[in-house]
Amino acid sequence: MIALHRDQAVIDACALVIAELQELTPSLVFASVITSDGFEITHAPANSFNSERLASMTSSVQALGDAVARELAMGSNGYVVMALDGGNLLQIRVPGQRVILAALFNNQELLGKGLAVSRRAVDRLGALLAAL
Amino acid sequence: MGEHVILFAGPMGAGKTTAISTLSEIPVVSTEADNSERDVVDKATTTIALDYGEITISEDEKVRLYGVPGQRRFDFMWSILKERARGLVLLVNNDAADPVALALEYLASFEELVAARTVVLGVTRTDEAPEPGLALYRAALSSAWPGAMIPVLSVDPRKTGQMHTALLMLVAIIDAEAGIPTNSELST
Repeated sequence: MIALHRDQAVIDACALVIAELQELTPSLVFASVITSDGFEITHAPANSFNSERLASMTSSVQALGDAVARELAMGSNGYVVMALDGGNLLQIRVPGQRVILAALFNNQELLGKGLAVSRRAVDRLGALLAAL
Repeated sequence: MGEHVILFAGPMGAGKTTAISTLSEIPVVSTEADNSERDVVDKATTTIALDYGEITISEDEKVRLYGVPGQRRFDFMWSILKERARGLVLLVNNDAADPVALALEYLASFEELVAARTVVLGVTRTDEAPEPGLALYRAALSSAWPGAMIPVLSVDPRKTGQMHTALLMLVAIIDAEAGIPTNSELST
């Protein structure tokens, strides 16, 4: 079985959803889709940040959130928000998939709107991946 | 109560998570994810942030056990956790391709602890792969870090007694390097 991050159909679906997110939200600085064990599937825009390293960090942070949820016996960890000086970084699991969306919005964006569009993006991506 | 922070590092599949599970007296905090690269290492899951466990080794000494992910792409976790660590148990699976070189490579990433002489090397899976022998590891370590005096043991991460031995050896070394009398010295 081909790994998700090497599957061209998966890469194309992720790239499509990121492109749609970029079009919808000019405040989006960076977005990437990664596997739950930290491999980058795709990101945009190109040549921004060390995206492979960020992919590993994203998966670690998500896993630590899951560990906290287990410790508190509060179910699972759906998403993580990092309120950074320069904007908000959101990490959201794609429903039903071993995949996470990370989306960085600048300070011009409301957290609630960033969360809403990111949720819509992961729902769409979940449907696309399920159909493959 | 005195506390030690000990790291468990080494390549994916060397037995770090198992070793911490074997040693810990609390439920282990784990951060596992499905392994995307089963063609590289045939494990269903892999650690992607840390493993955490605790063990009390005497009335007044607790050891906090941190396992770091094996893959180099998670080396930011190595950097974060090694700042807190007083010692390192490096586990290397003897059935890896060139495990001696692998041991040297990983130790180079933890050279602060090597320089502090607070490292123990545990060679795992020697039952499945008896070669290279421990003497080859010792020779390579002595050549790379003369004076570091890194103990080399064959260990099975599933066996409590063997992991206790490795851990207590490391704690005794840490205490000795810090000039703290060990329990056995105090009792004489």
